[in-house]
Amino acid sequence: MPQRFTTPAGLFARWRVIPTLICATLLLPRLVQAEDPSPGEAIYRAKCASCHGAAGEGTLKSYPNPLVGERSIGELTDYISKTMPEDKPGTCVGDEAKLVSEYIYGAFYSPTAQARNKPARIELSRLTVRQYRNTVADLVSQLRGPGQVENQPGLTGRYFKSREVRNNNDRVLERVDPVVAFNFEDKSPDEEKIDAHEFSIKWNGAVFAPDTGEYEFIIRTNHSTRLWINDQRRPLVDAYVKSGKDNEHRGSIFLLGGRTYALRLEFSKAKQGVNDKKAKERPPEPASISLEWKRPQRVEEVIPNRYLTTAHPTESLVLKTPFPPDDRSLGWEKATTISKEWDQATTDAAIEVADYVVGHLGDLAGARRGDDDRPAKLKAFCRHWAEIAFRRPLTEDLQKAYVDGPFDKVNDPELAVSRVVLLVLKSPRFLYREIGSPAESKNDPFDVASRLSYGLWDSMPDAPLLQAAAKGELATREQVVAQVQRMSKDLKAQAKLREFLMRWLKIERVPDLSKDAAQYPAFDAAIAHDLRSSVEIALDELLTSDGADFRQLLLSDSVYLNGRLAKFYGIDLPIDAGFQKVSLDSNERAGMMSHPYLLSDFAYSASSSPIHRGIFIARSVLGRTLRPPPEAVTPIPPHLAPDLTTRDRVSQQTKGEACQSCHSMINPLGFTLEHFDAVGRFRKDENGKPVDSTGSYRTRQGDTVQFDGVRDLAKFLAESQETHSAFVDHLFHAMVKQPIRAYGPQTKESLQKSFVSQNFNIRELLVESITASALTTVDANIQTAAKNDAGATAEK
Amino acid sequence: MFRTSRREFLRDLGLSAAALPFVLNLPSLGFANQTARKQRLIVIFSPNGVVPNTFWPDEEGADFKLKESLSPLEPFKNRLLSLYGVCDKVRGDGDSHMRGIGCLLTGCELFPGNIQGGGDTPAGWSSGLSIDQEIKNFLQANEATRTRFGSLEFGVLVPERADTWTRMSYAGPNKPITPIDDPYQMFSKLYGRLKDQESLKSILDELQGDLQKLAANINAEDRRLLEEQTTFVREMELELSSASAKDMGHAVPQLELNVKESAENMPKLSKMQIELMINSFQSDFARVATLQYTNSVGDTRMKWLDIEKGHHDLSHEGDDNQKAQEQLTRINKWYAEQMAYLAKRLEETPEPGGNGSMLDNTVIVWTNELGKGNSHTLDDIPFVLLGNGLDFTMNRSLKFPKVPHNRLLMSLAHGFGHHIERFGNPDYCAGGVLSELTAKA
Repeated sequence: MPQRFTTPAGLFARWRVIPTLICATLLLPRLVQAEDPSPGEAIYRAKCASCHGAAGEGTLKSYPNPLVGERSIGELTDYISKTMPEDKPGTCVGDEAKLVSEYIYGAFYSPTAQARNKPARIELSRLTVRQYRNTVADLVSQLRGPGQVENQPGLTGRYFKSREVRNNNDRVLERVDPVVAFNFEDKSPDEEKIDAHEFSIKWNGAVFAPDTGEYEFIIRTNHSTRLWINDQRRPLVDAYVKSGKDNEHRGSIFLLGGRTYALRLEFSKAKQGVNDKKAKERPPEPASISLEWKRPQRVEEVIPNRYLTTAHPTESLVLKTPFPPDDRSLGWEKATTISKEWDQATTDAAIEVADYVVGHLGDLAGARRGDDDRPAKLKAFCRHWAEIAFRRPLTEDLQKAYVDGPFDKVNDPELAVSRVVLLVLKSPRFLYREIGSPAESKNDPFDVASRLSYGLWDSMPDAPLLQAAAKGELATREQVVAQVQRMSKDLKAQAKLREFLMRWLKIERVPDLSKDAAQYPAFDAAIAHDLRSSVEIALDELLTSDGADFRQLLLSDSVYLNGRLAKFYGIDLPIDAGFQKVSLDSNERAGMMSHPYLLSDFAYSASSSPIHRGIFIARSVLGRTLRPPPEAVTPIPPHLAPDLTTRDRVSQQTKGEACQSCHSMINPLGFTLEHFDAVGRFRKDENGKPVDSTGSYRTRQGDTVQFDGVRDLAKFLAESQETHSAFVDHLFHAMVKQPIRAYGPQTKESLQKSFVSQNFNIRELLVESITASALTTVDANIQTAAKNDAGATAEK
Repeated sequence: MFRTSRREFLRDLGLSAAALPFVLNLPSLGFANQTARKQRLIVIFSPNGVVPNTFWPDEEGADFKLKESLSPLEPFKNRLLSLYGVCDKVRGDGDSHMRGIGCLLTGCELFPGNIQGGGDTPAGWSSGLSIDQEIKNFLQANEATRTRFGSLEFGVLVPERADTWTRMSYAGPNKPITPIDDPYQMFSKLYGRLKDQESLKSILDELQGDLQKLAANINAEDRRLLEEQTTFVREMELELSSASAKDMGHAVPQLELNVKESAENMPKLSKMQIELMINSFQSDFARVATLQYTNSVGDTRMKWLDIEKGHHDLSHEGDDNQKAQEQLTRINKWYAEQMAYLAKRLEETPEPGGNGSMLDNTVIVWTNELGKGNSHTLDDIPFVLLGNGLDFTMNRSLKFPKVPHNRLLMSLAHGFGHHIERFGNPDYCAGGVLSELTAKA
């Protein structure tokens, strides 16, 4: 049964006045249902209800899904005329089709109707997996303190004239090294101060982990070396003993994205063990060292300067316990369900944290083994732990239950600490958001604090935020905005925003970009890696720029290239050039839609894919809903239709009526990018024929806009309120993780208005969105207990 | 590492994932196999050689007397084998100490590397695996002899550094295994999950109570989430109560709290590690164990023996220094006492699920890096075997004509039914196993 359009909660298009009036007038007949039904309703009952249900809820036998979506009345009319009723298409046309469209639009089909029938609400949520990990890491960091945060890019290198990196008397040189990639050959790093036979170097600082996942660190050297990442007690790579011919040493570690981790690298050119006094009689040996990494799913590279800093963060607790992934069926992490696996994971994680805390009581609780008042100190630590973990002050009852209880039950205070940590982390007051606040208060200050920190950082409130809450300084909009602006400068906020943009660009997962070796022999994993880095750098630049103008994502006429990429894309740069901004022909390219990385991703191994590109534009940029194809169709392989251009082939493939219901929108969008091949290079012809990159789009209002090429399309998109609306929706949901409609009907509108008036500043939109979600009235939530989102689609 | 062995372990039993954390406290898999007896190997290492004339029995054969250094082993003389004339013939990189410990259980050369000894060329790690790991792999490959860990590497006062002097066991070339010399860390490895279970049990009531309190104050829709949570807590309660410590055949060891790692505490630490080893055998966590006292060139000041000088220093005194030789004898006697204590504990403990005592099914091998400290000789490496675990003919003092120790290593493997033709450097395996070990008296 062909499936049509349904809308996930939270996406509703702005409607125009006239349809509104029509809807409003349609409401009246509903209230006097017992009397004569409206003509539209009568038609519906006669021709549609048998398959679609009396109120559009669907029927098990014929069409089980609710009849909901976001097409305009005009589009519905068209569609119904052509294809409905399914068993007798063409029997509901002209005025009839129009009347029944208007009826269903107002009664249950449109987003407004949906909102009216099944109001959205703010649901009780647990911590998402990412929020859980971040919260635990920050719990520990708050107890420890952040360490020294001031920094510059690179690592501090200290050079010693002997093999002993711990001997400060031998330190003769200190400087900031941008990266660690040295070939000293048989010479010394500093001819005056250091003898070439024997020296050692210690690098200190921190490494920034952009993504969450398994990182592999690699040291290439022919001498003694050790590397510490995060845990400064146990080295991640211990190649102090050089054994055999191995000059490459590796260690893997799981890291949370958006944080910096202390890094220490030691290198010693000399024999270790007994001092070899005869070494100076022989010529100096060659020496080299490079510090590299392999990010999750990326390729090996020398750790770039932009990810190294001279800061000294304290050790983070990065949980190793695996969690089942969160539900992403709506495009954002929905944490309103739990499972047995999740419950088991929280138990295992709580045990992991308890072991860690007990193993580090010295620096976390300031209570060392010999202290006289250790039990008292540990109890005080537990009170503090419970309070910050619950994200609100601890009442006497809670203190008795969570702290005093375990201490009373056992003699060993360390065991008691372990149990308190366990109990606190298994408690719903930790696992669930905004639970346990006093019933009367609508905007309990600690709930507000939680909304701010989880919205901006996906983590718990920090000390200044909790203090503001305690003092009642989170009550007015001004106070909240001030906090939000402070907090959005934190690395975690930038990381969350960047991850959101990667999702918006549909490149949050690292794809396999293997291309046809015959056609694109030079396109390898290194190029793919550099292309992704190019996008990352551009996004970082955008988010830190003055205006943070969203339209740049669509309209920018420059791209970041390094030497390797420049060579591949025919730009003149030295082969070893680092990443730099390069201007492109603005007639050919525009923004991220024409970034070679996206173009390569939305393509096959040897041909472009207008369908993938069209889907990206439709879903991400324009916020349209698209269900999976009703019929499985194998794409026509290019070699079976060598005379056709990609455009022709795709049109051929999707010309069926059922396909056209979506492809009439997807294809004309994707075709505008046809000047770009499977690796994102510009082409004038394909298969000997000139590329036709004209396209079009029928707006939700029913107007059709024409484009010729990507710049036309980009200009339209940048100005279209559909784009603005979709972006506001996407960002709100990614940050707040609750349906936007639950915050009242005005919220979406006002956010969109302010987005426009502030010149599409993404940072400002973030501030407005978080602020709107923070000071919400609970009345908006307490609607009926009806379950939401029954008709949600499985969106990618 | 813990996790994978658990999963495999329980996959074999056909148990569900939910029961995973708890079932391991039940009596081991080994009890399922009643036909062949259990066999165990323990290797004890002490450094710096011995004083030959106070160590080796003069006699050869079944009628022999134990000298001063070995006198603590008198109660077990009828289960004892002393092997004189077994030599470490392995050469290559590294000085005698490094090769003494690095080739002792591996029988093969060290890699060239950057660790410089007192002389000779600098070396890296061993180029092959050690016999304890070879036997462990053999036992783990067979379901009937598979255990939770296979082997456990214990230590006493092993220095924090990882280098050729501090590693005796190797899982393979360049793969040294770090001995655990912290009894609390070892306890955690063996019994950590049990402690966690007890803690989880203790918090359940409070959790349920708070869940109910919270559920009462939220709307019906959201309440279902907390109700689901409550169900999970109830399920956890059931799972925890079905597996409890009572199911284990013996009590969980109680460790004395707050014993610091220091030379003064060496006797206490030694006892704690031996207790944990006994316990881990009772639970059948492993069939192979090593116990490494300090390290090669270990320089402990053993003050409780009234000795002020470090062991290594002392070991370089000349043969004519009577006082030093007497002190060195006292040191080795103390190590023999540790072996005797271990043997006593094994003898006192009935073999779980079998007949006789654990000592009936275990062989302890006490060995050393050097034959003699001041000469650095690698000839006549001390090897004293105790226990009836390997069907060797015990109660004898054997003297060999300077045979390579590879042949002894192979004999140990053969004792487990692992009939390897060579071990370590094949040049030193000629003649195969030492058949005298199993010759009838």
